Amino acid sequence: MFRPVQAIAKRGIGGAPLLVAAAVAVVSLGACATVPPPPTQALQAAESAITNAEQSRVADYASAELTQSREKLRAARTAVQNQQMREAEFLAIESRVHAELAYAQAEEIKAKAVNDEMQRSLDTLRSEMNRSRGAPQ
Amino acid sequence: MNIQIGSASKGILLATGVLLISACATPLMAPEGADTARTKLVALQSEAQLANLAPVEIRDAATAVAAAEEPRKDTAYARHLVLVADHKVDIARARAQSRLYQDQRQALSEQSERARLEARTMEADRARLDARSARADAESARMGADAARQDMLALQRQIDELNARETDHGLVVTLGDLLFATGSAELTGGAGPNLNKLANFLQEYPDRTVLIEGHTDSVGSESSNFLLSQRRADSVKAYLVRQGVSADRLATSGLGQGSPVAGNDTATGRQQNRRVEVVISNVASSARSN
Repeated sequence: MFRPVQAIAKRGIGGAPLLVAAAVAVVSLGACATVPPPPTQALQAAESAITNAEQSRVADYASAELTQSREKLRAARTAVQNQQMREAEFLAIESRVHAELAYAQAEEIKAKAVNDEMQRSLDTLRSEMNRSRGAPQ
Repeated sequence: MNIQIGSASKGILLATGVLLISACATPLMAPEGADTARTKLVALQSEAQLANLAPVEIRDAATAVAAAEEPRKDTAYARHLVLVADHKVDIARARAQSRLYQDQRQALSEQSERARLEARTMEADRARLDARSARADAESARMGADAARQDMLALQRQIDELNARETDHGLVVTLGDLLFATGSAELTGGAGPNLNKLANFLQEYPDRTVLIEGHTDSVGSESSNFLLSQRRADSVKAYLVRQGVSADRLATSGLGQGSPVAGNDTATGRQQNRRVEVVISNVASSARSN
């Protein structure tokens, strides 16, 4: 809504000033009156990012981001109902990055937990071996 | 206000222009928070180990950060872009870190595989040792039991061989008169095998002491019979000593004709009465003491 106005205004500046001014005015009004389509793609992307995060048992690890993600998706839908499509799109995109971050952090924490566990059992194994060898630990 | 197109077209144009210009003229700065995203991005990029693991995510984050840094009048949009950029940097770092963990896992699992193998080898070695010692224990226990049984059997066999009788005061081996020439205390050649068996037995069972008793028939004077029986007992003792049996263990007594085992009225009876009896003491431990 911001960008189209600018573009048309710039293009029009060369010719008849009155006409251009009128056109700008009309377009600006029209822009406020017409409702742009809802950000369907962004909403879907957010939904699938959340699903992905949920399947990865993110709730156990990075629940703050996932909670924010869900809240923003809900807010985005509300914005769509209120015909605030631009805000809806921002919220949907933000919902998606929250969910993606939640997922990435959960994966990181899980990967670390696996490594820590492996390290721990390796340490145990080694100390047992040292013990049974009678070597000082 | 735009609807009053009629007269002051110039004025309107001016007004519109001013509106547009003023939009561009407001001094704009990089949105708040964009610098934080940039700092985090630079930090991630400078960690070569991590940066190499998520090049795509980092490029994505860099684009988002650059967009967020653009000064914008639309503060809502600017805030949105900053949030997105900040999250993309965090996502890039988390992905890189996860991949680093995965890389490290490879090394870890190789290490634990090696350690496990080593532990198994040690365990197997130890088990083998344990098994060997358990087997040795069982063996020695069995051998102990066997030995005891063998000892019993050996004793029994030797008792049998010696033709010994078991009596209250011990094993009694009767050496017949065939060992001696008539009227003599000299052992005949035939005495060897019998007495050797006795010597072996006594060497085998060193705790046992022996009483060697000489007996005669009633032929001849009693006193000479006493002497003869004593001499015969002594010759048996001497023989056994020569065979390595300690003299301390060997007592002798000449009992003459006083303890017949058969009637002296027949040749067979007299022959049975001419004898040397070797009484071997019973001891608690019959086994060899090593």
